[in-house]
Amino acid sequence: MKRLKFFLAILLAFTLALPLSWAQAPKSFTLPFKEFKLKNGLRVILSEDHSAPTYSICLTYNVGSRDERPGRTGFAHLFEHMMFQGSENVGKGEHFILIENYGGAMNGTTNPDRTNYFQTLPANQLDLGLFLEADRMRSLVINQANLDNQRHAVQEERRLGVDNQPYGRTFETVLDTAYDNFAYKHSTIGSMEDLNAATVEDVADFFRIYYAPNNAVLTLVGDFKTEEALARIKHYFEGIPSQPAPPEPDMTEPEQKAERRKTIEDAFARTPRLDIIYKIPRANTPDWYALNVMGSILAAGQSSRLYQTLVKEKEVAVNIFGGAQERRGPSLGNLVILARPGKDLAEIEKLVYEEIERIKNEPVADWELDKVRMQFRRQRAQQLQSSLFRSILLGLYAVYFNEPGLITTFEDKISRVTKEDIQRVARTYLKETNRTVVITVPKPQAAAGAPGN
Amino acid sequence: MKPRQSFLRTLWLPLPLLIATVLLLPVLARAQAPPAETKAVPRSKVERKNRAPVSKEILQVKLPRPVEATLRNGLTVLVLEDHRFPTVVVQLYLNGAGPLHEPAEMPGLANITAQMLREGTKTRTSRQIAEEVDQLGATLNAFSGFGSIAAVINASGLSDNFDKWFALLTDLLLNPSFPPEELAKLKQRLLVQLRQQRAQPFFLANERFSRAVYGSHPAATVSATPASLGAVTPELLAQWHRERYVPHNAILGIAGDIRASELVPKLEQWLAAWQKTDVKEVLPPHPKPADAKKIYLVDRPNSVQTTIALGNIAIDRRHPDYIPMVVMNRVVGDGPAARLFLNLREEKGYTYGVYSNFTALKYPGPWRAGGDVRTEVTDGALTEFFNEIRRIREEKVPEAELDDAKRSVVAGFALSLEQPTELLNYAITRKLYGFPADYWDTYPAKIMAVTAEEVQRVARTYISPENIQIVAVGDASKIKPVLEKYGPVEVFDTEGKPVTQASGANASVP
Repeated sequence: MKRLKFFLAILLAFTLALPLSWAQAPKSFTLPFKEFKLKNGLRVILSEDHSAPTYSICLTYNVGSRDERPGRTGFAHLFEHMMFQGSENVGKGEHFILIENYGGAMNGTTNPDRTNYFQTLPANQLDLGLFLEADRMRSLVINQANLDNQRHAVQEERRLGVDNQPYGRTFETVLDTAYDNFAYKHSTIGSMEDLNAATVEDVADFFRIYYAPNNAVLTLVGDFKTEEALARIKHYFEGIPSQPAPPEPDMTEPEQKAERRKTIEDAFARTPRLDIIYKIPRANTPDWYALNVMGSILAAGQSSRLYQTLVKEKEVAVNIFGGAQERRGPSLGNLVILARPGKDLAEIEKLVYEEIERIKNEPVADWELDKVRMQFRRQRAQQLQSSLFRSILLGLYAVYFNEPGLITTFEDKISRVTKEDIQRVARTYLKETNRTVVITVPKPQAAAGAPGN
Repeated sequence: MKPRQSFLRTLWLPLPLLIATVLLLPVLARAQAPPAETKAVPRSKVERKNRAPVSKEILQVKLPRPVEATLRNGLTVLVLEDHRFPTVVVQLYLNGAGPLHEPAEMPGLANITAQMLREGTKTRTSRQIAEEVDQLGATLNAFSGFGSIAAVINASGLSDNFDKWFALLTDLLLNPSFPPEELAKLKQRLLVQLRQQRAQPFFLANERFSRAVYGSHPAATVSATPASLGAVTPELLAQWHRERYVPHNAILGIAGDIRASELVPKLEQWLAAWQKTDVKEVLPPHPKPADAKKIYLVDRPNSVQTTIALGNIAIDRRHPDYIPMVVMNRVVGDGPAARLFLNLREEKGYTYGVYSNFTALKYPGPWRAGGDVRTEVTDGALTEFFNEIRRIREEKVPEAELDDAKRSVVAGFALSLEQPTELLNYAITRKLYGFPADYWDTYPAKIMAVTAEEVQRVARTYISPENIQIVAVGDASKIKPVLEKYGPVEVFDTEGKPVTQASGANASVP
């Protein structure tokens, strides 16, 4: 379970597109992979690597919460849970039992843009991973009892992560305020009401439409022989019938014409928090790379401009973070400032905008650009030591951009960002009219023991 | 199979919920079944079909052994060469410099000392350090978690510029200046953190549980206080550093793209100024298990879940029962194939996750189970929790389940070979507890030799309904009557202060 924690950490870091680094590593450190397509349309990416007696498998499905319809928020993720509830040859709960008992690690995750399922196992259990993924893609068991059970599990997941936590509602408010298009306007975890509304028919439809081999990418990284592995993959997967291509969600986001502001009260928070959000282009575009580098300069780590100004110099905040989110569709750049109690939020906001004006008006320093590149390079070299991380990333780039090779070219794109690019994107996107500001303040507690100081 | 360190968790912001997952980390484990629940959830039953193709053969892996050296100043050095990737990780364990050794009135002294290393040296300002670390693309952090005997410096970076970032680490280690103005700033941030952590159910559960099981042992302390922060001075930090950051008590682990034969002479040179003293690490007397069952309730109004933690002091890391405890804990609550998870989540739907773990360090720590359940099923969860305790104590684990648990521990070894950091942790653990050089080589055979009788024996020895400590964090107006079914309840507020019946904030009944 320790491992799961690590996996989650890298996934979160990745999803936020905090300074990820696909810098090309120094020394000979390459990530060769081969691509295949089965007769039923399943894309297969194999990356052989014998440096440890392990392998990772990741199935990335081209479906996420952006594909949900109104009234069914949270469904893509609820469905993800159903994928662990058994199939023709695998009992409910047996997936967990098999992976754990043979020394593996696993998880499934859903975000707005994709859903993935992954395992890392000792190399001698190659068939186990392939069998489990194929069996549920082919023959998921869908029934009311399992749906109700997992509905409860997911509702507790929501309570744990959102409803019972300080700032739990802030993120949903940010999405709801910044976006106009339903696809990204709602959270992946969904509302309690919509989770309650999900039916067995919904599950069956979703499975048929989205969980077809032609809507998925299988990535396999680690200690196997490519030809042998491909033969096993064909054996397990090729008999699964393809389906008509699923509908493409409408991702168009109307241009924002004026600043949006919202203030929410939080029953658990003890200090105010300021979220400043700008609409930015989708990931893997030249402007997005420039915004990503700019985000790091502004808000990544203790040497970042906002940390130095707000936390160290002016002492109006106790922590800051932010960056460019990596989305397939219209994305967001966000800055989060955890304010020091008693400080004037308007003043803090003004200080942030002064830093943003500085980015627009003055070229960033050479050392700042170098720093971002070096951090990317080191982080990438560390992350890619995990076969799982590689399998997840290959699948993600294949599904998002049809470009799995980004696993090696991402760094070049980061490195090509110039000072001029940063000034240009700052002027283009960091405008008041393109901005959303969400302020979270502690809810005044009448009865409960107010903090003594 | 790794040594479980006591729970540390970032108190800062939850990350935006961009993804949702089928499993979360082992946050806490917990329990069960549903007498109180009126709306019955349809039966959703865990089932094994046994049709999956599995290799019954356990992949035999041998963990690489580090090169070991002792420098002239007494520092123990462990080097694991691993040239697959162009990176290096460093962990420096400064035994004797952790909060376990703090004066009782100064909680936080050890961690503030560690955190202040980055805030200035004789030749570098805080800002210069931050910029240099980031420019080198390195990571460099020092901390000292409550309950720990040690302060730890972690660093990592590319092997290309290892000499540069290690030199920075050396400067922080040997020449910190503890600038008063930086200390004042850090104190302000920590004061907010003290306030903020009280919003988090996990912290509140951890605080109360630690007090319950550790009693007067210093590991009962899990946080600084406004008063202790106020009392910290640059002089106290410098003294703590001078007296306790000593090489002969420390272990320096380095793994990655580095040559041990070249590195050790360089370390002699780089760390020559770090002088041996005659300070020895002396542990306080071991904590004893609490001797009577107690129930603690932390009233957190508006909570929609109850955060439960229960358990008691068990063993230290060198105890001969460690190996059977690993297997017992695996069966009960370590992971999503364990009994607690399958029962409370997969069958009952009470929770997103329940787990158990045990902390075994140089002194005995608790076996602990827990999780977060929705308020309405607090009673059902506690019932199931005690059902599982009864089961592991009173029934022998069936042979097939025991085999699975043991195999899962041993087979998981292979995965650690991907990660130099994990391999380094194994090496440091062995050294820290003075285990023989072949400790990890013989570990799998020891696990496989554990019998159902031993599992039952350790369960009966270390988990007892008679003396178990139960902590619940939630809305007292809803769960106090439930908890009272299990015994007398002591109530605390989120500030950690006892609430008397008469003052009555929680006495209000719906």
